[in-house]
Amino acid sequence: MIFVIDSDEITANCVAKATQRETRVFSNAIEAMMAIADGEMPELILMEVLLMGPDGFTFLNELISYEDTAKIPIVIISTIDFGGRDLSTYGVVGVLNKDTMLPEEVFSYVEKYAR
Amino acid sequence: MDVEVDNILAAAHELKQPLVDLRQLALAFDDLDDNNEKVREKMISVSDRAIKQINDLIKLKHLQGGLFEMEPVGVRGVCDEVVREVDSLLHFNNRNLYIKYPRRIAPVLANRELLKSIVYNFMLNALHYTSEETQSGLVVKSMRDEVKIEFRDYGPALPSDVWNEMRRGFIEKPKSIAMRPGTSGLGLFIASRFSKYMNAEVGAIRHRDGTSFYVKMPISQQVRLF
Repeated sequence: MIFVIDSDEITANCVAKATQRETRVFSNAIEAMMAIADGEMPELILMEVLLMGPDGFTFLNELISYEDTAKIPIVIISTIDFGGRDLSTYGVVGVLNKDTMLPEEVFSYVEKYAR
Repeated sequence: MDVEVDNILAAAHELKQPLVDLRQLALAFDDLDDNNEKVREKMISVSDRAIKQINDLIKLKHLQGGLFEMEPVGVRGVCDEVVREVDSLLHFNNRNLYIKYPRRIAPVLANRELLKSIVYNFMLNALHYTSEETQSGLVVKSMRDEVKIEFRDYGPALPSDVWNEMRRGFIEKPKSIAMRPGTSGLGLFIASRFSKYMNAEVGAIRHRDGTSFYVKMPISQQVRLF
């Protein structure tokens, strides 16, 4: 199972489609955290950091606070330009820029981290 | 920056998300026939251009904070990158582009991102005002202390107020250029602001059948020492 977290419904659904896998789409971090607390452990999370409610980094801080969730690979899909900054301490394995992102780039992360 | 330009920047932020969504929706179409595939590619290409222009407007705001570092930049690398990006546009619209580089081009002192935006904006303008019968041009010239990047188009003449501003090397505000339909002069406005930040000079040359826009970039003295 792959989680997609984005407050923009259109982008979230396009990203979900690009994974070609079973996904759950969340519009905010709280819903995603609740699903994890209920026992759903995603193989991969594809997420925007600009979210309604708690932002993406609050969510990532929460994830790295627990041994099991700290291992979940994260791909940030955002309009923010991170300029190649290393975000691996948050479990981030990749960053895609929404302005230029292609579906095959999303899929390549899925193939690599959600077998 | 004045209130009017500030309002444009606020609007730009608002417009970006729907454009990003439209681009993603176009990318999400499956199994299209050849004709519809062309329509899809055109939708993506148009969205890409609009997103780039919005990102340029957002960069304008960051100029005030001096956030763009200056460094020695290779002009040919920047121009080649832009040519690759506009290649699909040339193809879709049956446009031709001639490119001329000198044998050696000294690195210029610039911010790569801003220089690329200037080249991209001038290039799009040149392509817009070129027909299937004419060829837009990109010519790079090495000068004593500068490198001149020139773009030739075959569009209608610029109105005199825009000429005057171009002569001063600075476009005050984006404005509708009635004699050049299909443009708001936004590209020129952006190019002039980015040039000023980099101590470069933008200008234009009148031709009987069109206009050449240029940017003169100062050569990096840092690299010259070696």
